[in-house]
Amino acid sequence: MIETIDLTRRFGEIVAVDSLNLRIDDGRVFGFLGPNGAGKTTTVRMLCCLINSTSGTAYINGMDTRDEPSRLKIRGMIGLLPETPGLYESLSAYRNLEFYAKLYGVPEGRRHQRIKELLTTLGVWDRREDAVGKFSKGMRQKIAIVRALVHEPEFLFLDEPTSGLDPQAAMTVRNYLLDLKKEGRTIFLNTHNLADAEKLCDTIGVLKSRLLDIGSPEGLARKFYGRTTVIHLTRVTDGMLNAVSSLPAVQEVRVVGNRMLVDMEDPEAGNPGIVSALVSQGAEVEFVNELKHGLEDVYLKLIEGS
Amino acid sequence: MRFDKIWTVARKDISEFRTNRYIMFSLALMPLIMAIILPVAYLLPITTFMPDSPSTPLDLDLDPTSTIEGEAIINRTVNNTRFVDCELQGVVLNRCVVEASNLTTVAMTSSFMGNSTGEGMVIHHCNLLNNSLSNVAVSDSVRIGEESEEEALLIIFIDALLLFYVLVPAILPTVIASYSFVGEKTNKSLEPLLATPTTDMELLLGKGLSIFVPTMAVTWISLIPFVILVDLIAGPVLGYLPLPNLIWALGVFVLAPLFCLMAIFANVIVSSRVNDVRASQQIGSLIVLPLVVVFIVILLGLVTLNVLNMALFIGVIAFAVIGLLYVASKIFKREEILIRWK
Repeated sequence: MIETIDLTRRFGEIVAVDSLNLRIDDGRVFGFLGPNGAGKTTTVRMLCCLINSTSGTAYINGMDTRDEPSRLKIRGMIGLLPETPGLYESLSAYRNLEFYAKLYGVPEGRRHQRIKELLTTLGVWDRREDAVGKFSKGMRQKIAIVRALVHEPEFLFLDEPTSGLDPQAAMTVRNYLLDLKKEGRTIFLNTHNLADAEKLCDTIGVLKSRLLDIGSPEGLARKFYGRTTVIHLTRVTDGMLNAVSSLPAVQEVRVVGNRMLVDMEDPEAGNPGIVSALVSQGAEVEFVNELKHGLEDVYLKLIEGS
Repeated sequence: MRFDKIWTVARKDISEFRTNRYIMFSLALMPLIMAIILPVAYLLPITTFMPDSPSTPLDLDLDPTSTIEGEAIINRTVNNTRFVDCELQGVVLNRCVVEASNLTTVAMTSSFMGNSTGEGMVIHHCNLLNNSLSNVAVSDSVRIGEESEEEALLIIFIDALLLFYVLVPAILPTVIASYSFVGEKTNKSLEPLLATPTTDMELLLGKGLSIFVPTMAVTWISLIPFVILVDLIAGPVLGYLPLPNLIWALGVFVLAPLFCLMAIFANVIVSSRVNDVRASQQIGSLIVLPLVVVFIVILLGLVTLNVLNMALFIGVIAFAVIGLLYVASKIFKREEILIRWK
């Protein structure tokens, strides 16, 4: 579990991270959203024991990130993918990974097997002896991901894992992260890619120095936009509008063309009554669906409102 | 402190250096200059104009026919005589042996003079041993067991070469360290490295070791041709092989590694403030300045390079190394590197 309690980091007068309170349970994928300079990287650096907090505490698996002996243990439990791959370009992919495997204390017998396993999964095993400097950006990113995973960490911190990748490479990385999610790893994902966050994350936190909000992607959308049922009709009459408006479950009704948009607390309970009321008014219902508000809407609303 | 982590970091860096043409060129070129070109260019011109083995005693074939002991001899010309504990004044000596005597205004040719004092003498074609002489004109003579002026000059030049030699391990780290530390920064590979379960000191020592090992290996390996060349060039002139000797051993095996460490830690400090390899090299190279000052002082004969002075010098440099290690270890901290390093 990752937990922060009033985690704060100042750089002189600037408060990069302000009283951050988070709790990420094991096996969850947490997406950290926020504009540039919001404090996401600073938070990750504090959690990875690279820098200290000014005040407040953070715990990884119950170990205090401020405690020096614990810091070494914590660093052994985490895998970090920074924003830039930061590989040794003159060394081969294999040598890069072997170096980190040794530093992370992967046993000699397991080292080769683990590197082969990961490089094969990401489709770069055949290029293992090539110098990383010859690799494309996407391939470097894959090697950097393998580096973060070579010691089978319990916690994975990923900073913009699909940034700058072509769609195919981004999809490969995304699919691999989904596989990791299925394996039950705890993943902390810093990203600007809201589509990625929506697909991958169980929980989203929006940060702008302070944590603006936190919740599941759906939960955040509901929190800001409520729940709206869209009923597609062949035509809309005043009678139909009045019949739906008078129902106690309905909060607000809007008509857009031949569509009726009905805001409700609990659409699962209210939808049958609405459909009955409409049918009783002679309506011909083509289909009913829920209006989805994307994470982008939520993010922009939060950032603009902050 | 875990040596396997330190060695892992060092080996990785050494692997990287092996692919860097500039570093490999520097590692090959510097010893080539120091071990081969410098002794040849520096000592050969000096020794070419010096006679061979001036310390070898002249073959005088002396065979005194009488001995005078404890007497004062004034204004005489004496041949084939042995003087012991005598006072000689205004005397001309030829093919004599003079021991433990005081000589004033004496002309001496083809003789031996030992353990005596001389004032206002003219000496030609004599062997001299352990005398105290003043206002003396000496020609074609050998001061047995003493260095001639030419020999003394040659020794000073060889000592100066030692300082050149310890410059190699002070210069090479500047070249390598600038790639090691600044290279990690420009490559943006520091953050994943710092995220590993290693201590700051393990990383610092690993990086330091990666610079220390090739530098000292190159320095020590190049010592072999250097010693051979110096002995070949200076040996016939001095009458003995000047290298190796204790001062050189101290210089190469104690002082040179200390200079190497000093340069490494100084470069850590420099690297924390610059983000360009060339700037790092330029500033880092200033570390050799104190050495150059010492070199000039010795070359001017202001300080003799003897074992005591060398021990003192080693002590000062060891102290400086400890100080620089302390500062470097304060700077080489994850937080400092990620936030304050340029």
